[in-house]
Amino acid sequence: MARVGVDVGGTNTDLVLEAAHGVFFHKVVSTPQDQSEGVLKGLVEICEIAGVKPNDIDLVVHGTTVATNITIEHNGAEVGMLTTRNFRDILHIGRHKRPHNFSLHFEVPWQNRPLVKRRNRIAVTERILPPDGRIETALAEDEVRAAIQVFKRRGLKAIVIGFMFSFLNDAHEARAKEIVRAEMPDAYVCCSSEVANVIREFERFSTAAMNAFIGPKTATYLNNLSDKLSQNGFRANLRVIQSNGGISTVETSARQAVGMLMSGPAGGVIGGRQEGLWSGNRNLITVDIGGTSADISTIPDAQVKIMNPRDSYVGGHPILIPMIDLVTIGAGGGSIAFIDSAGGFHVGPRSAGADPGPACYGRGGEEPTVTDAQLVLGRLDSDKLLGGDLPLDEAAAARAIEAKLARPLGLSVTDAALGVIRVINSNMALAIRSNSVARGVDPREFSLLPFGGAGPLHGVALAEAVAARDVVVPVAPGITAAMGLLETDMQYEHANSLIASLSTADGATARRIDEMTAQLVAACHRDLDADNVPRERRHIRKIAECRYHGQGFELRADMPEGEVTTANLSTIVDSFHRQHLLDYGYAFDDLEVELITLRVIGTEDVEPLAMARLEAANGAGVEEAFLYDKETVFDDGQRLATPRYDRGRLKLGHRVAGPAIILQHNSTTLVPPRYTAEVTDFGNLRLTRAA
Amino acid sequence: MAKELDPITLQVISGALETIAEEMGHVLYRMSFSSIIRESQDLGAGLFDCDFNTLCESESTPLHIGSIPGYLHGIKETLQDGEWRDGDVVIHNHPYHGSSHSPDIAIVVPAFHNGTLVGYGANTAHHLDIGAATPGLIIDIPDVYAEGMLFAGTKLYEEGKRNEALWQFIGRNSRAAPQLQADLEAQIASARLGVRRYAELLDRYGRETVETATNQLMDYTERVLRQRIAAIPDGEYRAEGFLDDDGKNRGVRLPIKVCVRVTGDDIEIDLTGSAGQVETAFNVPFEGSTKVACFCAIRSLLLDAETSEIKVPSNQGSFRPIKVTAPKGSIYNPEFPAAAEARFSQVNRVIDLIYKALAPVLPDDIIAGSSASLSFVSYSGVKPSGDYWVFLEVNEGSYGGRPQSDGPDSIDSLMANTRNNPLEDLAIHLPMICERYELRDDVMPGAGRYRGGFGVVKAQRMLTDGFITHENERHEDVPWGIFGGHEGAVGRVTIYNQNRPDEVRDMPAKFSGLKLAADDVHVFYGPCGGGYGDPLDRPAAEVLDDVLDDFCTVEHARAAYGVVVDLEAEVVDEAATEALRRDMRAGVAGTVPAPRAPQPAADPPAAAIASARPTTPQAPPTPAMPTPIEIAARLREAFGEAWSFEILGHRRNGQGVEVDGALAANGTRVRETGHANGAGSAGARLEAAADDSLRRCAEALLARHAGAPGRG
Repeated sequence: MARVGVDVGGTNTDLVLEAAHGVFFHKVVSTPQDQSEGVLKGLVEICEIAGVKPNDIDLVVHGTTVATNITIEHNGAEVGMLTTRNFRDILHIGRHKRPHNFSLHFEVPWQNRPLVKRRNRIAVTERILPPDGRIETALAEDEVRAAIQVFKRRGLKAIVIGFMFSFLNDAHEARAKEIVRAEMPDAYVCCSSEVANVIREFERFSTAAMNAFIGPKTATYLNNLSDKLSQNGFRANLRVIQSNGGISTVETSARQAVGMLMSGPAGGVIGGRQEGLWSGNRNLITVDIGGTSADISTIPDAQVKIMNPRDSYVGGHPILIPMIDLVTIGAGGGSIAFIDSAGGFHVGPRSAGADPGPACYGRGGEEPTVTDAQLVLGRLDSDKLLGGDLPLDEAAAARAIEAKLARPLGLSVTDAALGVIRVINSNMALAIRSNSVARGVDPREFSLLPFGGAGPLHGVALAEAVAARDVVVPVAPGITAAMGLLETDMQYEHANSLIASLSTADGATARRIDEMTAQLVAACHRDLDADNVPRERRHIRKIAECRYHGQGFELRADMPEGEVTTANLSTIVDSFHRQHLLDYGYAFDDLEVELITLRVIGTEDVEPLAMARLEAANGAGVEEAFLYDKETVFDDGQRLATPRYDRGRLKLGHRVAGPAIILQHNSTTLVPPRYTAEVTDFGNLRLTRAA
Repeated sequence: MAKELDPITLQVISGALETIAEEMGHVLYRMSFSSIIRESQDLGAGLFDCDFNTLCESESTPLHIGSIPGYLHGIKETLQDGEWRDGDVVIHNHPYHGSSHSPDIAIVVPAFHNGTLVGYGANTAHHLDIGAATPGLIIDIPDVYAEGMLFAGTKLYEEGKRNEALWQFIGRNSRAAPQLQADLEAQIASARLGVRRYAELLDRYGRETVETATNQLMDYTERVLRQRIAAIPDGEYRAEGFLDDDGKNRGVRLPIKVCVRVTGDDIEIDLTGSAGQVETAFNVPFEGSTKVACFCAIRSLLLDAETSEIKVPSNQGSFRPIKVTAPKGSIYNPEFPAAAEARFSQVNRVIDLIYKALAPVLPDDIIAGSSASLSFVSYSGVKPSGDYWVFLEVNEGSYGGRPQSDGPDSIDSLMANTRNNPLEDLAIHLPMICERYELRDDVMPGAGRYRGGFGVVKAQRMLTDGFITHENERHEDVPWGIFGGHEGAVGRVTIYNQNRPDEVRDMPAKFSGLKLAADDVHVFYGPCGGGYGDPLDRPAAEVLDDVLDDFCTVEHARAAYGVVVDLEAEVVDEAATEALRRDMRAGVAGTVPAPRAPQPAADPPAAAIASARPTTPQAPPTPAMPTPIEIAARLREAFGEAWSFEILGHRRNGQGVEVDGALAANGTRVRETGHANGAGSAGARLEAAADDSLRRCAEALLARHAGAPGRG
């Protein structure tokens, strides 16, 4: 009985293996040409490390950027679209708002990089009318067939069908799909009502078109990986993490590829939540700091939040797929600091990336970055990054800061470096506030959880800037995302728009809500049945997405247990008012509440990683973990001889008083003066300010 | 005054201010009810100091950005009891006291810190209906009193206590009172939030530091903008256009004259010579709209958000280098009590003409003529209950071709930047349904190396009887092409009844309070942008792509681009294309390069369509030559105002620059190439070459004119 999480990043593929005799970590170089090669190599190696055979592995949970990379490189399938006559250009017009207010030379992603070229968007005669979805004009099947001939002549392999009002009645989409299936049996085909069965034509079409765009390649990748695993003796179930933080089967992921688009940061948020639980913290702000960007998410009461669909975009295209609520800002170790022609001081969003990378990498980078600033401040040790795998050139870092920042500003190199850190921390703190305070969350009741290799260098400064109660450093900050893969649930979602006033609902409306909810619940059970999930491990969550009548945005409200009746509709209404109050600070108790979409999520409980409790210190001092002293500059400008400790030798109950730096293979934790790092049960570090 | 702050602290406070403004905007549009605010984001929000300087402002829609200082000045003139107290909330929308126009109601909350007034949190939002003469929008009305409720310095809250009489009055004087009141509540929540956040900022850094920072940040933004202005050669640059009519006096065109005056790092937009104020609501409040549009034009041109690496803070500094002049009593600066509600198209055209004026000196920055108008429709009706429903729809425009890319299609243009309403959402909530929403296929946008953008066609059908007012423009003045690009296409509006689809009524661009019957369909065709650069220079492969995508017909590819497409095989006929293009290039010399839409010969001053006359006082290439001002004087002597000069294209020629220009007057058009060599900036050389082209054209035309019998 063993399971593996394998998370593919831009540079490294991280692996976590859990077996009865322990938890093992491993890292291999990613293989961007075909990610499955690195994945397989890593799996084979971690099995050797852990001493288990491939066929002992029951489950492989995979985080992959395959789908996301297709959108970044815009090299998906050439897609054909069948759409409603007179509405050919819904995907071209979008919401007719420009990306910038003040620009003449702006790009329009949905016009410059369309998911479906206009020549392949063919309108056919059909019409479904609101509010009941009745068919006004039957589908012209001959026109569908004629369009298919064009698609075939052009050699298209992916077809999307998007008709107006299909969320009210999917009969025409379904029929058109049948015809496509019959005439193009090998094509990847999807309907807008299957991919995102919700109101709003542009967003629904865009989501479905994106699915068709990334679907074929994503499906090929997953099937190929699946085959490679079985050829190499793995008989494990392969599962893939989704944007909403759940995991799904290869079959579902291939069919609903759009669900994987934002899965990259999802593992980190889920992993962060588990670290919080290990250390006894249910309210968390996770900050995942990478090379070019930082992902920030707020987790109240151990519940991962889902983004308002209005805000979920990928590559400039709206994607109506539930994704974990997080903000991403251009702030990371590679963020470049510069002074503009009018004397303004900036850090990021431009990044030196991995190549040439920061000046201290010695690969030709001449612009100072956040990593260079950390190095000259003595917070990174030049021979310790990635356990010494990547030696750093401190002189080069100092030269870059001197030339580009210190001299022009008349500052010392140290002060300029402190300035870089101050600005980058300020940028991140503002983003944290916009994801917390601005959304009714009080950071004073939250722990800040920094990860990514460089995260724990910023933890205390960020916690102070947003007034978080303390800082919790994960067990292995460099691979928190991979660990998250083994800590999330099998998850299926089904949704359907049902527009009805809840304030004035009668028995018939309540029955409609109840019936549709029951259908969605049944659909979830069918999925879970197909995965052989036993009934007792299933969880069904029912959500009513509502708004005040006349508003444009829905919020998620809880639904009553059991049957929906006129008597218990108030459960939804009350829950909606509460959510509105929380998100916006106001509720309008006397206004009509309108239901827009019903959503049901079926999950399978998964056992969290069985981390071993750390060995207790039992009176042994922290000296055993002491490595050496080195001068380090702290945010207040103090330059102090600062001891380094080996995190691997710290034991439960150890308290490391700041100033200190705690080193581990892929991460460095900064403990400023007046702070103490305490080692908790499972090896987390809790950093608190001395009273 | 505190000593200057270091740039690092400055950046930290700058970020904090920006976040506050964004949070204010976010709360306002997320909480609001009317689609014009929540979907279209027709709102603005920010913080202001005691001198009414903008400290920060949310990214919402451009016409709101920069308008609030005008409101604050107007409130100072009119404030109830003349004094701000903690807990006050002021409501203000008077167009003769600084408002942008009356439906854009401002909510202002004073910020107090340790008992002292330190600034204001304020926002503006467009409201569905404020009880004007007709539902939603208004055009043909006699004066400002017909615009509806006017508030000036009125306290909706006094020291935290709401004025219930006023609140009830508002509730009884709008056709959309529930939305109006709920949206005002959202505005109050947003302004109060801003004030609270500002106080937190002052607590954290101290008032002196924050105020030093805000002053330095304004200086910083101003400095960046001035650097960009200084790079433009000094001179006066002019362009002209016209508006269809005022919505009442049909056929009476309204000239627009724009002069951009660049002196060092100052820039002035002078609208002198534009039409006088009109007798309908088709006037523009000067402080709240005319000035703001000019700020928007310069910011988009010189601080382009897409191409600038740095994000300049959005504050007062971005307005300081820009002076705006419009004489009292003109359409851009009307006198009380003229109505001035329907003002968008006029100022959007000013922006468009600023770019046309600057084309000779900023050829790589400006873009060809855009739709540059606004289609703003108010649909309304009375429900069975007797209550009104009102829906405001902003229809999109299109962009002109650009120096390195095609003009975007069917998108809000220039100062407009709103979101449409999902058609499915609309049809479920209102007695309307959309019959058609796609790109126009009845006309082509301006051809060019980079083509203009397509206008939209949107057909909305009423399901019950109702009313419609359409504030719209650009049925006559065609979006201009530049540097050899062809002109675009004008807009069109029709109404027909679904049951009698053959009886189509062509409508003027503007009409007010028209009754519609059930099944009446209102169809808007948006103008298409002009082209940039010679269409013969567009690679044939791109033309083929356009043909396959139905962005271009086979006939248009041949006639405008000289590209012969084999539609069956989906390929370009290379040989035929080469031959055709060769012929077209040869034939084009000395003639008009593109088929132009017919221009009415009557009404001479307004018919002076294209006019980018570089009339810089700078020295011409040789001192003996007449200056552009002298040339202009001679042309005026001969033709009055009925002449126009247009830049067709420019190119590099060794160290020098050549500019092709065309001068038209009395139905004659001559085209000449001007040259400039030698030192100076590229812009200065271009300018000199343009002057040379004008001089040569003028000589040729005046010679012909002198020789023509019966003229002069």
